[in-house]
Amino acid sequence: MARKTDIGEREQRVTQKTLHSVDETLRLPAVTPPVTYPIETLVPQVRQQTPAVGQRATRSDGRMHGLGQTRYIDDLAFPGMLYAKIKRAGIASARIKRIDTREAEAMPGVMAVLTGREIPVNSFGPSLKDQPVLADDRVFHAGDGVAAVAAVTEQIALEALDKIKVEYEPLPAVFDPLEALKDDAHKVHAPNSNVYATKIIKKGDIDKGFAASDRIFEGRFRTQMVEHVPLEPHATIAVWDPNGRVTIYSTLGRITLGRADVARTLKMPINRIRIIATIVGGNFGGKNEITQEPVLALLSKKTGRPVKGTFTRTEEFIATTTRHPIIMDYKTGVSKAGKILARKVRLVLDGGAYCSWSETTLGKACILAAGPYNIDNLLAEAFVVYTNKTMTGAMRGFGAPQVCFAYESHMDDIACALNIDPLDIRLLNAFEEGSSSPTGQVLQSVVVKDSLLQAAQRFGWKEARS
Amino acid sequence: MANVTLNVNGKLRTASVPPETTLLKLLRDHYNLTGAKLGCDVGDCGACTVIVDGMPVNACLMLASQADGREVLTIEGLATSDQLHPLQKAFEDHASLQCGFCGPGIILSAKALLDETPNPTVPEIRDALSGNLCRCTGYTKMIEAIQAAARVLREEPAERDA
Amino acid sequence: MKRRGRGIACMWYPIGFTVAANPSAAVVKINEDGTATVLTGTVETGQGSLTVLGQIAAEELGIATDDVHVVSADTDATPMDTGAIASRTTYVTGNAVRLAAGKAKAILFEVAAPMLGVKPDQLEARDRKIQVKDYPQRNLALGEVANHAQVVMGQPPIGAASFNPATVALDPETGQGKPFSTYVYATQIAEVDVDDETGEVEVLRIVAAHDCGTAINPMLVEGQIEGGISMGVGFALQEEILFDDAGRQINPSFTNYIMPTSLDMPAIEVDIVKSFDPTGPFGAKGVGEPTAVPTAAAILNAIHNAVGVRITSLPATAEKVLAAIKAKRAQEPKRIAARARQPGS
Repeated sequence: MARKTDIGEREQRVTQKTLHSVDETLRLPAVTPPVTYPIETLVPQVRQQTPAVGQRATRSDGRMHGLGQTRYIDDLAFPGMLYAKIKRAGIASARIKRIDTREAEAMPGVMAVLTGREIPVNSFGPSLKDQPVLADDRVFHAGDGVAAVAAVTEQIALEALDKIKVEYEPLPAVFDPLEALKDDAHKVHAPNSNVYATKIIKKGDIDKGFAASDRIFEGRFRTQMVEHVPLEPHATIAVWDPNGRVTIYSTLGRITLGRADVARTLKMPINRIRIIATIVGGNFGGKNEITQEPVLALLSKKTGRPVKGTFTRTEEFIATTTRHPIIMDYKTGVSKAGKILARKVRLVLDGGAYCSWSETTLGKACILAAGPYNIDNLLAEAFVVYTNKTMTGAMRGFGAPQVCFAYESHMDDIACALNIDPLDIRLLNAFEEGSSSPTGQVLQSVVVKDSLLQAAQRFGWKEARS
Repeated sequence: MANVTLNVNGKLRTASVPPETTLLKLLRDHYNLTGAKLGCDVGDCGACTVIVDGMPVNACLMLASQADGREVLTIEGLATSDQLHPLQKAFEDHASLQCGFCGPGIILSAKALLDETPNPTVPEIRDALSGNLCRCTGYTKMIEAIQAAARVLREEPAERDA
Repeated sequence: MKRRGRGIACMWYPIGFTVAANPSAAVVKINEDGTATVLTGTVETGQGSLTVLGQIAAEELGIATDDVHVVSADTDATPMDTGAIASRTTYVTGNAVRLAAGKAKAILFEVAAPMLGVKPDQLEARDRKIQVKDYPQRNLALGEVANHAQVVMGQPPIGAASFNPATVALDPETGQGKPFSTYVYATQIAEVDVDDETGEVEVLRIVAAHDCGTAINPMLVEGQIEGGISMGVGFALQEEILFDDAGRQINPSFTNYIMPTSLDMPAIEVDIVKSFDPTGPFGAKGVGEPTAVPTAAAILNAIHNAVGVRITSLPATAEKVLAAIKAKRAQEPKRIAARARQPGS
């Protein structure tokens, strides 16, 4: 760890020209242009109504948003703040032989460099703790962070990343989830199997159900990897106080978990960590775990300065979680009238390089896979496999959008083949109050049929040409 | 260093900045006008939209030196100490903004539209917003709010600001 | 030529974590003038949760939305919260807020009861008043009671509570159990135009009927539905992260990762389905994720209805749709029109 005297020496080596331009970019200018807005509380009538539930109340943050006065993390600045950037591996599967940071450290304006081995506990994850904060020995996907730099300007930090030399020994990789399922596939996190979680739901007897069916339908459906794309990129600022307490401002949707993760990775007591999230500019599941928080905390401690890191839009794509691509196989047996008698589902989830929220996604996808339908005989199996691609995690729906695409497309195929109105076949099979779910749960406040009828009525389903 | 002088929200401002500084960085880092946001830094998302000499531009694609001698209107320049701009009021009333990050850019694109076209059709509004990405709202309540604000602006020509 | 089609999709979606504990805690403080402050560890990420939590507290305390100030997102100042995830905030954090507000209100009732000459359980809070049930004319201003409680009686009205949904672990062999306390249901119907010469799909209109239990704030529910549909349109037709042979992303930028703009959005009609969940705060459940679930299915079913092709992999790009249309045409037996000749030709 660099001592404060090192910082003083570093600062002396920074050129006058750089310092001058840095002073110019002091984020807290002495005379800030005043911003005008009305301070009189124009409270909309609807916010004054009682009772409150059911009111179309305007948002408490709506005015600030419209005035541009909401302070997101990137809008905050602290005296002496440094800027951090993370070097991304650029190779999907490799062993790191050497990381040479000397040239980067010697650059004027660079205040500290950090690598994975300096992190006290270099692993985290909402369930399986298989993701490193910074890759130390192995790289598992091209967006893995391998080193981080804190410098006086963002520009210098980015230039310093180029000066960090990493020697990789390329390793085999697997990208297709069906390939990764095979016994002879490259093991991403060897010696563990690529299948890192499974789930099964069994109800009734599908063999009997299929035997009793008049028609049997099969279909395979696939969905793609997509990104949350919140408009606000991930941003974090770490600041220490003389009591050895760190305050981390971060775009996290889960600050309690974030604090626990920082405590674990930095080996600190929880009450020495404060996480503040102000407001997050869009989450959708992508900001529900830590990303660069421990890195910035350590850089800040090393340099004795506040350190801010913001992800570039490219990093938003390659270095944050994405939605699981799923390969879904459906087999359904129905009566002539369209009543579902048996359903068999097999899901293979592309689990990316790390587990992240995959176990939750697997569980939900498997439970929801049969659709909101009364099915007495059901077998749903789901597997999630490692691949050397961007990690897949929580994204709005946890597997539901994918399986809904599959089971509703499949339902329409059945309706078409049996010449039944797609609305009617759904009404025939849908859950009702007290129906038993795939996991045998008795369902309450069930309104599937209401939603079908209401939507159909508003749309004019029965009137429209079919 | 580039020396720039520009009119920001009605006030003359100067700055001495490295030549590669964008207008966005000038506004955010030098003037602490953080309403314009950095969403992609390459002009794809519109979160940095500001109005320069009456035209909506992506501030991340314009150099500070290119803004020298021009009039720049940011989100901070819309409200007065007495009232919100009708667009800001309409957006508040219709809950048009959710996370709010795209908000300043969207509102300024809308303002530029209404300055040109006081009674826009829905396709014209969609077109004006086509350079501003929003992931939260689906744009629906923004379109409603812009129509509402347009009605208010048409009824109060004396209070319309420059 | 443009062909019109319509497709329907319905879905169900759970609220909260799968079996696992996902508690939220909240603190409600009533100020000396009858306004209140809520402390919650959740984070506003755009969905409007702070406004909704404020409305829940206001309802419990019998005051207005604007009387409640919500403080959030600071681990030093706000109690733990499992987070803005799994559509759980209205239901789980909302219940915690309601319970905490109830505890603060109980202190007001203790103080007001002797002042009104009744027992605490005969009181209710409504319209900024503490009043006797069935005898609203016997009341005290809530602010007066709050001030009296803190300043005279020395009992500041403050309450803290937590909530965790009731679940039952799933059997490892059969998956049977109660993974979630409650679910929501929805249907979306899409109307599309498919250009059978280019494969381009235009989504014209989506009708969405969503269940969210009691809609604490219908305007914000509509916002979530409209936003969810925009993500669904992107998922159905445009978005895809592409990788090269070496496992590197090819299109990590807005230029090449296509997602919906204002030009891609259909006209949206929203219906909130009436329902009430007794385990939720004032009957509310949740709506954040369900809105993005059935959209792609509805659009793909509409494409099938329009041009008779079943696209089984997303996204249904113009190239894919056109290729499927062409493949279908190639398979259709060629028919010679029997009455091709026009008189006089």
